[in-house]
Amino acid sequence: MSKMKINIPLNRVEGDLEISVDIDNGIVSDAWSSGTLYRGFEKILLGRGAMDGLVITPRICGICSTSHLTAAAKALDAVVKVNPPPDAIRIRNIVQMTEHIQSDIRHAFLMFAVDFVNQAYKKSPLFEEAVRRYEPFKGETVIQTIKETKKLIEIIAIIGGQWPHSSYMVPGGIVSVPSASDLLQCRLLLNQYRNWYEKRIIGCSLERFKEIISVADLNAWLEECNSHWESDLGFYIRFTRAMGLDKIGRGHDFLLSYGSLDLPSDTKIKGSKDQNFLIPSGFINNKSIDEFNSSKITEHVAYSWYMDHEGGKHPFDGETKPYATGNESRKYSWSKAPRYDGFAAETGPLAEMVISGNKLIDDLITCKGISVFVRELARIIRSIELIPIIETWISEVSCNGNFYKSPGEIIEGEGYGLTHASRGALGHWVKIKDGKILHYQIITPTAWNASPRDSDGIRGPIEEALVGTPVQDISNPIEVGHIVRSFDVCLVCTVH
Amino acid sequence: MSRTIYWLQCGACGGDSMGLLSMESPDILELLKLLDIEILWHPSLSNAKASFHRSLLEAIFSGEQSLDILCVEGSVIRGPGGTGMYDTFEGKPKKDLVGGLVKHAKAVVAVGTCASFGGIGSDGEIEATGLQFLKRNKGGFLGAEFKTTSGLPVINLPGCPCHYDVLAGILSSVCYGMPIPLNQYNSPLEWYNMLIHQGCVRNEYHEYRVEEPDFGDKGCLFFHMGCRGPLSYGPCNKLLWNKRSSKTRIGVPCVGCTSPDFPQNYPFFKTRNIAGIPIELPDGIDRAHYLAYKSMAAAAAPERLKKRQTNI
Repeated sequence: MSKMKINIPLNRVEGDLEISVDIDNGIVSDAWSSGTLYRGFEKILLGRGAMDGLVITPRICGICSTSHLTAAAKALDAVVKVNPPPDAIRIRNIVQMTEHIQSDIRHAFLMFAVDFVNQAYKKSPLFEEAVRRYEPFKGETVIQTIKETKKLIEIIAIIGGQWPHSSYMVPGGIVSVPSASDLLQCRLLLNQYRNWYEKRIIGCSLERFKEIISVADLNAWLEECNSHWESDLGFYIRFTRAMGLDKIGRGHDFLLSYGSLDLPSDTKIKGSKDQNFLIPSGFINNKSIDEFNSSKITEHVAYSWYMDHEGGKHPFDGETKPYATGNESRKYSWSKAPRYDGFAAETGPLAEMVISGNKLIDDLITCKGISVFVRELARIIRSIELIPIIETWISEVSCNGNFYKSPGEIIEGEGYGLTHASRGALGHWVKIKDGKILHYQIITPTAWNASPRDSDGIRGPIEEALVGTPVQDISNPIEVGHIVRSFDVCLVCTVH
Repeated sequence: MSRTIYWLQCGACGGDSMGLLSMESPDILELLKLLDIEILWHPSLSNAKASFHRSLLEAIFSGEQSLDILCVEGSVIRGPGGTGMYDTFEGKPKKDLVGGLVKHAKAVVAVGTCASFGGIGSDGEIEATGLQFLKRNKGGFLGAEFKTTSGLPVINLPGCPCHYDVLAGILSSVCYGMPIPLNQYNSPLEWYNMLIHQGCVRNEYHEYRVEEPDFGDKGCLFFHMGCRGPLSYGPCNKLLWNKRSSKTRIGVPCVGCTSPDFPQNYPFFKTRNIAGIPIELPDGIDRAHYLAYKSMAAAAAPERLKKRQTNI
């Protein structure tokens, strides 16, 4: 079989992504990831009021609008050099983590696992069960995921007014003053979700699952009882292993975390690594974890539909000058190519867990390397870490307490807000002059992961993860779908 | 035979699709069953390969596959220079796909402010427009005279995002064949003939002109904080969001996201005023009477409100 190129407009990702691969004797020999929409947010913001990022940037993404709001508010916190009161930090975190855990489960079971129902697996003994669980609009897990995640989102509405697209975080804290009954309701909703997640998704208590720290433990857990085996996580492990999804989708092995979820000054929760974040920052290149430094972030445009410039630019110097060439040049995506210290870094729950020192994830990678299996697994089990911490923070908030320290009018200055959205590292860089936005650059998680090539021609993480993948049936390249979706790509964010 | 929906995303953020998943009583799955609706295609939720999507589009274009409702999320992007190349599908402008599909749908629903009026990007280089309006001007991408095969104009459901109960209501109305009276911006009067302000729990503070100069307290946000609740039409404070609350209730000034000219071209969170009185007054109010009423109201304000004792 000779070499051929196939184009795959990929659905069940958020927004417009087109993947193109060269297939050489049944193996992907090269890949291109293309974001096909440009909306120009960084330019729409110019000249607007200093606070307008709080309204405009959440609308980059209907899926992780809370994280954009966090980044925008933190950037303005930095501009006015104000530290929000501890309870405001708690509330910001509670809402953001709630957004994460519903997004993780919606992605896993409404988008990722739907591929298990692909005709490619029709002959598998697991197919019938996959259909029963994940058939769109009908599967048992699909129905329950829709019902339970929307209840969880009520927490965001109680505190932030609505989801998506609220603007309840502002420089200096949050606008709302949650009452005792508000906080009580949040607690009950979270408890309900925990019960469902334990019963349906993992088949055991969060505490039981936390005892798992190695591959051997995980295997023993799976076989231990029916509720583990029959849980969606149990099925996930059985299915992905049977289909070899633990052997594809490796990528560059460069992992990045900006650090996320600021620790309030007076909390029982301890961060790891003496950092002031729950999720520590760091960059992994060849196993060692380097200290993260935001000045090493740049964006390239050599293969992106923007006016060329040499090498990469730091987002404080970055520019957005669209240049639609169509398909006639080497340019092929509306995503810029972010690089960390020159490396095409992968970001997301997997990177966060590795940098946090999660023992199970670490052992899985030591045994078999990064794969579709471990990348999506990190997302499915992230709730196990986050739910108890949200519970603690809700219980620590003093109702009618102090949630806002007024920063006064914002006239001039610059700052950046780094955080993690559900899909990984997110940053906003802003400069204010005469009370107006002079400069605004945004780098989203999927810009990192679905990045096109950089000035040196180095592929982005998803492109790299695709190379070397065997494709059984080029009319139904399901392997490509698995790999791309394991990054939980969000193109609406990417092509802001 | 089932009724069919095709859901198209253009210059969108996915927020209206997320709204689908938030629908209540009935939820989206129950609603589809009750109305016997088949979703032919939804970019985030369908399980079909690219080749199926291509043949589905061909079948719709040839008339072989009937299309009852076309839902469009996001603006039609025409830039740069009218080419539409800022938003493409398989190398061709997405706007051509919009133009093709609208000819075959019995009803076209613009879901959200971007699809209705252009929204984010309607002032920008992407040349975004709504399907049949650009901001307050009729026309938009399809032109003022556009009618679907069953004689309807585009039904606009503004809001950023559109409230999911409004979407559920319209899908039901279309399926049950009920009349859908529209306002001057082709939005259903049923949901867009009330102000965001109606039902806000801060209304008593508003009534007595107990106004906040900053965030973080219980009073009204209209005089100083840029709240557009008394100026914008929509059901946020009647239907509530995610069953629970609304932006204004918890202290986020309404940003007017249902308005044809959202986002406004002056700063949010700041009320433009003359001598402390907002330039834009609640819709339809006479300025002189309003000034007299507000100064009397402030004088009559009870201490419990002035001291922010009454909960919201």
